[in-house]
Amino acid sequence: MIAYIFTIVFLLAVAPLLLSFIKMVKMVLLFKKPVSIFQGYRNFAKLMQKETIISEEASSMTRYAPFLVLSPLLVTMFFLPPVVHGAFYVSFVDAFTITGLISLSTFFLMLLGLDSASAFGGMGSSREAFIAALVEPAMVLTVFSVSMMAGDLGVGQAGVNLAAHFPKEHMASFLFAGISFYILLLAENGRIPIDNPETHLELTMVHEAMILDLTGVYLALVESASSVKFIIFASLFVSLFVPFGLAYAAPAALFVFIVKLFAVALSVAFLEVSTAKLRLFKVPNLLGVAIVFAFLSLITFYVLGA
Amino acid sequence: MHMFQFDTLSMVFSALIFLGAVPNLFYSHGYLPHIKRKAHYQLHYFTFILSMIGVVVAANALMFLLFWELMSLTSWQLILTEAKEKKTVDAARFYFIMTHFGFIFLLLFFLIVSDGDLDMGFAAMHTVVVKFAYPTLLFFFLILGFLSKAGAVPLHVWLPYAHPEAPSPVSALMSGVMLKVAIYGMFRFLFDVLYPWPLEWGIIILVIGALSSLVGVLYALSEHDIKALLANHSIENIGIILMGFGMGMIFESMHLRILSSFAFIAALFHTFNHMSFKSLLFMGAGSVLHQTHTKNIEKYGGLIKAMPVTALTFLLASISISALPPTNGFLSEWMIFQSMLSSSHLDDMSLKLAIPFAIFALAMTGGLAIACFVKAYGITFLGLHRSSNAKHAHEVNGMMRAGMLMMAAVVISLMLFTPFYIAWFDKALVQLGRLSVYAHIFPDGILHMHSAGMHGGVVSPLILLAALLGTTGLMMFAYKALRVKERIHRTWGCGYHTSAKTQYSATGFAGPIRRFFNWLYKPDEHFVKETVAGHESKFSTSHYEVHVTPLFEKTLYRSVSKAANTISYWVYRLAHFEQTRYAAMIFNLMLLVLFSYRIFAHTFSWATFVLEGIVMIISIKVLIIGEKR
Repeated sequence: MIAYIFTIVFLLAVAPLLLSFIKMVKMVLLFKKPVSIFQGYRNFAKLMQKETIISEEASSMTRYAPFLVLSPLLVTMFFLPPVVHGAFYVSFVDAFTITGLISLSTFFLMLLGLDSASAFGGMGSSREAFIAALVEPAMVLTVFSVSMMAGDLGVGQAGVNLAAHFPKEHMASFLFAGISFYILLLAENGRIPIDNPETHLELTMVHEAMILDLTGVYLALVESASSVKFIIFASLFVSLFVPFGLAYAAPAALFVFIVKLFAVALSVAFLEVSTAKLRLFKVPNLLGVAIVFAFLSLITFYVLGA
Repeated sequence: MHMFQFDTLSMVFSALIFLGAVPNLFYSHGYLPHIKRKAHYQLHYFTFILSMIGVVVAANALMFLLFWELMSLTSWQLILTEAKEKKTVDAARFYFIMTHFGFIFLLLFFLIVSDGDLDMGFAAMHTVVVKFAYPTLLFFFLILGFLSKAGAVPLHVWLPYAHPEAPSPVSALMSGVMLKVAIYGMFRFLFDVLYPWPLEWGIIILVIGALSSLVGVLYALSEHDIKALLANHSIENIGIILMGFGMGMIFESMHLRILSSFAFIAALFHTFNHMSFKSLLFMGAGSVLHQTHTKNIEKYGGLIKAMPVTALTFLLASISISALPPTNGFLSEWMIFQSMLSSSHLDDMSLKLAIPFAIFALAMTGGLAIACFVKAYGITFLGLHRSSNAKHAHEVNGMMRAGMLMMAAVVISLMLFTPFYIAWFDKALVQLGRLSVYAHIFPDGILHMHSAGMHGGVVSPLILLAALLGTTGLMMFAYKALRVKERIHRTWGCGYHTSAKTQYSATGFAGPIRRFFNWLYKPDEHFVKETVAGHESKFSTSHYEVHVTPLFEKTLYRSVSKAANTISYWVYRLAHFEQTRYAAMIFNLMLLVLFSYRIFAHTFSWATFVLEGIVMIISIKVLIIGEKR
């Protein structure tokens, strides 16, 4: 129980680090002077001290939505697979609940975008709605396929099962599901090639457009929500698709887990430097690839013997 | 001879009607000053509710058909309550034709299964069905009859026309409750009369469900009329219910009886949930319409400030219909997902490979529904008012508010008391000869809800709700405790002055999705702009409008009506011949009968067929058509 609470708090604390790390790696690769890896914490501290400016056009939605964007993601943190061996975990919650909670957070984020009556908010919400609608089926199918291989629909239990018994006999479907999930990780977190988190150019921004009118604590909440979302996806990817290291003693297992998280972040950074952002109407092609891989994963699983 | 029966299934659906109708009574009472033909409205409104209850408690074919027809006719009259526009009259006529199209098939079904004795109870019909040689024919009569009422693809086209034209309380009743009466018919007659089911029937229902859900939500997204948008969502939700129902039938045919009961309970639960949130949404839309006098979503905006109660209840229903946790809509959709995921228990490879496509359809529907309700809620209630109608709106009267709050309470009760509802649905199914699965769904207390499949998922609605409220509450408390300075000021809109016109419109919001599904929508776009001094990009005024006509209506319905027109034209021509030609026609008919006798006598040969054909054509040309004038 202590390990459970500790890992959640620890992951929450690490969350801003990962996004800053991606930014830092990208800047190094582009021969720029890199930002500090602690920039995420600095921004948070700065935003917490600022006064909150609420748009004249905004309604009470702006006062509640930032909290409702963050809280489903915080709740989701409690349902992730265990990080260290033998730690308590909520074994029963299945992936639909997790995707549902993430969608709930996105739902309020999209409403937030529409609340301030600015053209940019609506633009961001509209694009986010489009992407989220296509992410949903790929997500459900991928998760279905993985849970078939793990032999349990509960996410926590699936992580443990996969660590205990790696599905060597289903390597093909495992890989397909992994590719699909990685694309979803990029899409849900608004990374290049789906969305560029650093741009504020009206033609390209999606996530940033929705939160353009926020400042102060509200912005801090939404920014933390995006870092928490990244860590949720990264740790789901790590626990389900790179399931080793759980058997080590607690500190070593935690260390391995963190290293794996940073490896995922590193891969995202490399990908971001080497590809350009897709046009919005090319995004469905990429998500279509995710959907097709999810289907392939299921089909190979069934055909090659369940 | 019993005229009425009160078994658990009937009681479950009576309860559904009560839960849907009681808040509606309050709402309707508040809405009444808005209606001119009060007596006409009240008479049909109450008859409508009573007839729906009559349908679900009827114990023989005659009573069932009587109340069914009464229900159709009263709702038809209710659509015509405010028949000021041609659009309303057309919608009512369309509804009248479609509902009687279904009625004919129900009548055929009952005439066959009751063996001429319309007083016969439903259980006795089963013995007739067992002896009947073509049960699949009966099945098609049944689904044509009920699904044309429920609005499943391809018999759904009337629904987005008819439901929005009725006064709002009636729209809520029709979409929320009346569609469910058709679902009751499916349960009653597939369980009691048409039994056992071949595998194909379940697959047909599943496919219809998957198609309906996708078609419904896609057309909802392209809709600007808020009530038509909600009506399209009814098609989607009927599709979701049918997917659960189809899975139940498939599992039953494959002898997985526990999974079958689970899927049927999921379908029943979604039936209840859809009743609650769809009624609430229609009431909310009705309140907005009542205040702004327009159904066009592009004319709304910023109504959350003027109508907080409507906005809050509409938000609750929006979250629920988008199947977001921890609402009741999420729970039932979760159950349907779980029953589809249990398809890995089937030992039929083709089914195993096919059902993921249905899972895909349901997940896609969920994603698009979220987009659609962000649009519906965000454009209606958030931002700035887009017209002076929305500017002068204020909260509706107490009775209407009471109706909406009571319906919100129904939504919340379905969310909080899920185990009790499920226990009751379970009892209804047990009485219809199914296995009880309550112990599989709630094996350890009422907190955790399990899937009935092996290693299925688990969800704990109450814990989720408490956790979400707890974290949000804690954070808001912390925010209050921090005493952050707040200032209301103009925010930076990229240098633009924010006004009602700079906001995104509903058309714009759905733009990316509409463009992606362009091959399906084939929209009619109207784009007019007045350019300044020949510049392409500088213009003084511009107007963009887009309308989407459903594909099914374009292809299926219009071509049927065209064919009917052509045929009736020729019949008309025939009817105006001179008398001598009638004799010629009779002669030709006799030739036809004589010639075709050979086919039945199995002395058919191509040579004589061609020869006789030529003789026929010549005699028709010479004797009947004659010379062209």
